[in-house]
Order: sequence, then C-alpha cells, then structure tokens
Amino acid sequence: MSVGHVQRAFESAGIPTVGVYVSAFGHVPAQMGVARALITPNPMGRPMGAPGDAERHLAVVRHALSLLERDGDQVIETFPEPYRTHPSPSA
Amino acid sequence: MAEPHDDTAHNETVREFADSFFYGSRSNLDMKFLRDLNPTEVGDFFDGLLRHLATTLDDGASDRLVDHVIEWQRHAYTAHLDGKASFSYDDVPRATLGTPLSQARVALVTSSGHFVNGDDPQPLGVADMSQEEAERRVGEFLREAPTLSAIPIDTPPSDLRVRHGGYPVAAAASDHNVNLPLDALRSLEREGVIGAVHHTARSFVGATSQLRLREGVAPEWADIQRAEQVDAVLLVPV
Repeated sequence: MSVGHVQRAFESAGIPTVGVYVSAFGHVPAQMGVARALITPNPMGRPMGAPGDAERHLAVVRHALSLLERDGDQVIETFPEPYRTHPSPSA
Repeated sequence: MAEPHDDTAHNETVREFADSFFYGSRSNLDMKFLRDLNPTEVGDFFDGLLRHLATTLDDGASDRLVDHVIEWQRHAYTAHLDGKASFSYDDVPRATLGTPLSQARVALVTSSGHFVNGDDPQPLGVADMSQEEAERRVGEFLREAPTLSAIPIDTPPSDLRVRHGGYPVAAAASDHNVNLPLDALRSLEREGVIGAVHHTARSFVGATSQLRLREGVAPEWADIQRAEQVDAVLLVPV
C-alpha cells in the first residue's frame, strides 16, 4: 500500500516507475492503479529472491526495468520462475 | 521444548492460537498471515504443513515447505479482501520514459527500512531502536509520517542496517539485495541495460500512516527525485 502511494505520486510528478511486489500483495498494483508492476512468487520481505541468489535478483530487476519501455496504461506482469532457496551453481 | 501443557489453564481456541502469531505471544512476521485465515483454513494450513514435513523427513527436500508457506501467505492476503481495501483508485497516473532505458538514470526507492550506520532515522524519537521494539510499537508507526533514509549506492554492506516492524527482516539483514537490489542495478549499469544507477538510493519503513504519506510525504519525495533529475525509479515494497 505504501509503495503504491509513492508510485502514484512519482508518476503524477512525471517520473516513470516500476514496482516489484510479492505475490501476497499481487492484488495491490491493480487495486491502487499503479502504472507498472512485476509480481514475484516470493515470500513476504524478499521480492527479489532469496538471500545470496544474485542471479535471481538480477533477473527480477532486469525484467522489472524492461516494463519501463512497454506501452499501455497499466502494465502488470508476473515473474515466470518460482521462488528458489538454492541458487544455481553458476550464480 | 516447551513445558508440558497445563490442562487446568485456559484452553486456547484456534482463533487465539492463530492470532498469537500476529504480534502476540508467538509473534512471527513470516507467519503473521495466520490472523487473516478463518479457523478451518488455519487447520488446513497446519495439516498441509505437517504432511509436507512428514515427506521431507524421508527425502530431505524442503522446497515443498517453502512453497506451502508462500501459497498460504498469498491466499491469506488475497482471499478475504471484500470490504478490506482501504485505498483503491480507478485512475492510473502514468509518466513516460523520456529517454531510452540504456541512457536512463535509474533511482531505487524501497520500503525495506534500511538505513546507513550513523544515520539512524530514530523513529518515534528513539535512538538505536531495536527490531524487537519496532515490532512491539508497529501500531505507533502506523500513525506517524515516514522518514526517507538516503543510502549512497557505494555504501559498504557492513554499514547497512535494517529495521522494520512490519515484515521479517532476517533475510534483508543477511543480504540487502533481497529488497534493496543495489548489486543487480550496478550489474545492469555495467551491461549498458541502463544508463546509470542514481547515486543515492532511498528507503523508508512502509508500516506508516497512509494518509500522511499520500497527502504530504510522497509528493515531497517526488520533488526530491525530480530535483536530482532521475529518469525513472525502481520501487520495491516488501
């Protein structure tokens, strides 16, 4: 809810934004009318991924920022990979 | 292990048991969603959890336990929304990125409750408030305006602190990137996906007065970002 209000204020001031919300709050972007949101299937408090999972953090941020260049009044997408607690060996 | 149950004591109801995880005698911010479940759902949650645990006893795989908790967190916060949405809007304020992302200066703002050592926002006028006190006084946070903490992006991780009475901070304390993704942003800057990471990230405690945030604070924060000429902002709620 808090970030929804910040997101609306920034957009109203002419600053484009994208928010990354966990699935427990996946209803918030539509409810609060935010312009762009990525919903991750992660537990509360870890919207980017598990601690130490740098590869996943990067993938989430990359996906989220790509929404800044998308057309549409409201762009809400879901990150396609499930939450994981065991980063891949290459991470 | 707890002492044997005293049968002469008050027999706790399922409702009382579930509510105890929400800032009660069993306070557990990963499990505080139990308060939002009805008693039948509380039973279903624990039944499923224990069944998965029994399987895990044999194969050691823990992912099913993690998935179970995530799914019930989602269910708890989304299944009983009727009439609960205190803030809902029909319009969608939307600005357009005025420059290619590869040339854009991107700022980071999160409601994680991070701040830099030596720059404690001192919520409720308390210096060096503990996480435990923040959880105990979360109701007071919800009546106050939030403070925005500035975090230079080159701050060493050892100088970062996190405190927030509304969510479990252990993961963020062990790796700030779970909700303050500075490393990922810097990687994307090096790749050329974005033009630059703005020099100052910012964080606040999202458990705050929504009216004060909406009416006064958030527009002021927008003015800060505009004055610093950022092109876009990555926002991270927790």
